Amino acid sequence: MVAPSVWAIIPAHNEASRIKSVLLCTKKFVSNIVVVDDGSQDNTAQVSGKYALVLKHAINLGKGAALKTGCDFAVAHGASVIVVLDADAQHKPEDIPRFLKELKGADIVFGCRGLNKKMPLILRFGNWFITSLTSLLYHVDIPDTQTGFRAFTSSAYKKIRWDASDYSMESEMIARVGKQKLRYKKINIETLYPDRYKGTTVLDGIKIVLNLIWWKLAKG
Amino acid sequence: MVLGVQVAGVLFGIFMMYYTFLKYKKKEFSSSEYLCWMVLWVAFVLVSLFPNWLDPLVKSLNFVRTFDFLVIIGFLFIIGMTFYTYTIVNKNKKQVEEIVRTLAMKGKK
Repeated sequence: MVAPSVWAIIPAHNEASRIKSVLLCTKKFVSNIVVVDDGSQDNTAQVSGKYALVLKHAINLGKGAALKTGCDFAVAHGASVIVVLDADAQHKPEDIPRFLKELKGADIVFGCRGLNKKMPLILRFGNWFITSLTSLLYHVDIPDTQTGFRAFTSSAYKKIRWDASDYSMESEMIARVGKQKLRYKKINIETLYPDRYKGTTVLDGIKIVLNLIWWKLAKG
Repeated sequence: MVLGVQVAGVLFGIFMMYYTFLKYKKKEFSSSEYLCWMVLWVAFVLVSLFPNWLDPLVKSLNFVRTFDFLVIIGFLFIIGMTFYTYTIVNKNKKQVEEIVRTLAMKGKK
């Protein structure tokens, strides 16, 4: 078990069938776990409530908003380090100690997936394109910008706190890291796909690309 | 002679007057909002019936036909309303997000 000032934030939307295993495994490494139930219509909140503190959004706002709720709550309750991961068992909580180890000497640690042949070609291309554009615009060199498994300090969170309420938040976080010149590290993680590939869609990808350009032009 | 497009304009104006009246009766519009919209629809019907009333304005702005003038005004109105709607929706979205997030954190721990 790691220090009590480490908090895990898990945004969840209709993940009642998978979240239990994620929480049970995460509990081995982090004592403070917050699940943000983002307007689920199943019993995600009830299942999660047995293993973690649950913050419930009355309606579905999106991953960015859910993570922001969890991170704001954690920071307000004394968190010094925040680990964020997905609720659908894509990420292995066993990697959390590696994140925390790498966070020494960095403000944020990004989890990066290896090449996964199960991911549809269009999404692989989209990920490559967004990654290349991010590197070009923000000089942050991360081979996978769309993985939600990350760890950062609370002081870094105050600098990267995103506005996006949807999946764009992953990219906005990186954009802010680049603009704020924060120290970052990356580690390879294994990503599991227990079901079909879900998450960012092609439309989300187009929105992310437009946002990346917009943030570069608009934000200081 | 009344053209088909004028008939369509008059029918549309009358329908919108009725719709505005319903909104007012359901108390979704205040009296001043109701009055403003009714004035607009009455003006729309009158301009549909007597487009030559606009001739002085159309000529001074160098439009060839009244119809061209109305189309341009219509486009400008739609663009303005789209922008207005965008700002309102954006503002509401942020407010809803803030309320939902605040309620989620309220009273925990």
